[in-house]
Amino acid sequence: MFQDRRIGLALVLPATLFLLAGFVLPVLVLLSGSLQGPGGWSFDAYVRFFAVPLHQEVFWRTVRLGVLVTLTCAVVGYAAAFAIVNTAPSARGKLIGLLILPLMISPVARTYAWIVILGRTGLVNQALQGLGLADGPVRLLFTETAVFIGLVQLFLPLMVLTLVSALENLPADVMSAARVLGAGWIQTFVRVVLPLTREGLVIGGTLVFTGAVTAYITPAVLGGSRVLMLETLLYQRVSVAGDIVSGSVIAAILVVMSYTTNVLLRRIAAGRGR
Amino acid sequence: MIRLPWMRIGGWATLALVLLFLIGPFAVIIGAALNAGTVPAFPPQGISLRWVVAVFEVQSFRASFFLSVWLAVGSTLAALVLGVPVAYALARYPVPGKEAVRAVVTAPVVVPGIIVGLALLRHAVVPLGVPVMEALFLAHTALLLPYAVRVVAASLENLRPDIEEAAVMLGATRLGAFLRVVLPNIRNGILAAFILGFVTSFNQVPVSLFLTGPGVSTLPIDMLAYMEFTYDPSVAALSALLALMSLAVVLVAERLLGISRFV
Amino acid sequence: MHSIGEEMIRTVLAAGALALLAAGPAAAQTTLTVSGFGIAQDQFRRILYAPFEAQCGCKIAVEAGNSAERLAKMEARRANPEIDIAVLSDADAMIARTKDLIEPIDVAKLSNHARLYDIAKDPIGGNLAVGYTFYNTSIVYRSDKVKIESWKDLWKPELKGRLALPNITTTQGPLLLFMTDRAFGGSGGAFTTAIDRIAEVKPNVVTFYERSAQLLQLFQQDEIWAAPLGRFNWANIKKLNMPLAWATPTEGQTGGINVMVVTKNGKNRELALRFMDMWLSTDIQTKLAMELVDSPANKEVVLPADVADNLTFGPETVNAVRLIPPADVIANRDAWLAGWNAKVAR
Repeated sequence: MFQDRRIGLALVLPATLFLLAGFVLPVLVLLSGSLQGPGGWSFDAYVRFFAVPLHQEVFWRTVRLGVLVTLTCAVVGYAAAFAIVNTAPSARGKLIGLLILPLMISPVARTYAWIVILGRTGLVNQALQGLGLADGPVRLLFTETAVFIGLVQLFLPLMVLTLVSALENLPADVMSAARVLGAGWIQTFVRVVLPLTREGLVIGGTLVFTGAVTAYITPAVLGGSRVLMLETLLYQRVSVAGDIVSGSVIAAILVVMSYTTNVLLRRIAAGRGR
Repeated sequence: MIRLPWMRIGGWATLALVLLFLIGPFAVIIGAALNAGTVPAFPPQGISLRWVVAVFEVQSFRASFFLSVWLAVGSTLAALVLGVPVAYALARYPVPGKEAVRAVVTAPVVVPGIIVGLALLRHAVVPLGVPVMEALFLAHTALLLPYAVRVVAASLENLRPDIEEAAVMLGATRLGAFLRVVLPNIRNGILAAFILGFVTSFNQVPVSLFLTGPGVSTLPIDMLAYMEFTYDPSVAALSALLALMSLAVVLVAERLLGISRFV
Repeated sequence: MHSIGEEMIRTVLAAGALALLAAGPAAAQTTLTVSGFGIAQDQFRRILYAPFEAQCGCKIAVEAGNSAERLAKMEARRANPEIDIAVLSDADAMIARTKDLIEPIDVAKLSNHARLYDIAKDPIGGNLAVGYTFYNTSIVYRSDKVKIESWKDLWKPELKGRLALPNITTTQGPLLLFMTDRAFGGSGGAFTTAIDRIAEVKPNVVTFYERSAQLLQLFQQDEIWAAPLGRFNWANIKKLNMPLAWATPTEGQTGGINVMVVTKNGKNRELALRFMDMWLSTDIQTKLAMELVDSPANKEVVLPADVADNLTFGPETVNAVRLIPPADVIANRDAWLAGWNAKVAR
């Protein structure tokens, strides 16, 4: 019954055409703008973009924060996912609901909360001084630390959710088997759990990394002009300086970064499997 | 799996910390919203509802709230109308260039939002003179399409094709079989896609950043603009209201559909 | 690729847009589109927009945002302008002039033009803009923590980690360069002296602010003890109830004029002029001043002393403001940006 290719085509055509014309094409035209020099195609715009020390700094900061946020989410994510998988199924649903909640709340509201918490007179500083961990108020707002904290909060739920479903699919007895065969907890994790949940980790990692390097509100509000990331730099170049060429260069860098992360992590996952 | 007592305790402690980190800030924002003073602060200096009331008096918030709601409903519906057939075709039919179609349909997820906004502004909206509202609608529809396809596809996977075949053999048309047999069975998937799409559109900032225009602004963009010029707890109050609204959505969705399966 | 691409986009979008138009709200009335600062929009609606709407039988749509961003949007939509009248800083109006985005205003049609202070009548030349408000810019500081008597005092070591400065991209950024250059005996022009000095003090700077409302939060949370800012924030700063003072530096105060411009090829020129005229009237200017929204540019406005004290009011104050000559902005803006990005931003 489902053999007719024409029906298949007719069903996918409206959406595909809509996205090709209204999405893929405009984006490609924008990206191609970064490859146009005075005399045709060239990498001129990239050379000039990276010749500016500020732009290099912003590029490396974006990569650095992306990697740090991804690693942190992976480590904390495994711990939290293990704990969730070990609870009774009834509690599990509620816990997952709690994890989804922050994903549903406006990111503007989320970052706004951190302004109140991370300020010099905010909760964190009150706690640090109350516990005697700091002599005076510590400056947290408008630092990379603030952006890091904001990004981890933003993306940790995605990592935990993917790891929970990966761990749920883990055969119930593999860990017991490994333990019976004399493996330590760390060994069990590295040799057994990690390879078997590799795919979840890769999916979660990709979501977190690409999300972190392309986040806008968090660096804009918590980092400000002294902690620019690529996306805030793009907005500033385009909107304030009217510099479309730099804008399309940054756009191309971000798209390439998202895409290669996807491919690279998939490759790593597949390679480890053999 | 082996459970040792120290693992249980450690596990609960980790979970508690993670949840505190993820959800605690919203408690803070609710506290700051109830602040009686003139500036946002936590712990609040006296409890009052004055800023919650103030939110409803800011004219631009009201306008952009309704605009955001309509935009979210409209673009989610449009994404479903375009996306459900794609999910269905990919699940059932031999589509020529299946992988290419899949790539195009998931493309909006790969491209960062701010780039989508900029590309559409410069290479579609401005040269063609598309009005602001229509531009926002088209951009949000494109953005939501991948979610619609993915979530509906997930619920189609659990539906065996042979019941449709049976319906057709019993004399139903293909369309009739789809409407009477398939649609009721993937209803929950569509509802889940609708909720996810609504929330994604409603909270969207980067795509809208370049596309809003005179008199047409979405709520989150309006909040950012308000924060640019005014510093009082009304943004905290509005944030708190939005957080409570999201909580209600999550509770209802979880109760009705178990939405956690689709995220 | 460009044209074929756009052609294809056009066809498909047209179909979508058509469907939408059928559902969209019908535009029955003329709409005057105003691009303005996001500040105090509720007051503007009550004092200015609503009465004007009642009088003209039209609707006012407002695009709010900071001056530079709105200017960039005007440029992006140059071929198909949506804005009829824009409210900009004097410097951004100069840029709009060089980019040919605005057209001369027929001041003969503005019955209130003669009532303006002289420097507001034609601030950027060619009758391309009319000033509607002034402000002076100085330093606000915590009087219990530091003493600021000169622009040089921003370099005091006790302000380490307690100082906020305006980013170059804001209207206040060039004003900071201007006064710093004066204070340290620079030679003006590209402001190289000022940029070097600011690069020196950078380790002390908490953030280069882009939104003036941010300063309120920074003062309130004790993040900063001093920052240069415009007088239009003063009324809100006072509400913080903190020991904050407005400096009167020995080198003087700087400031600016905010102006109204008419978009080139705008659709509602006549209406735009009527709107402008109403905004400049003694009645509206007084009402806006009484609510501390804007200092008046209309010299017939009379204010009680306590209100005047919060504003940039009266001939002496207005004449004492040191403005950057508009021609300097055009000649050197690129040099300022380049110098700042090379030495300060990184």
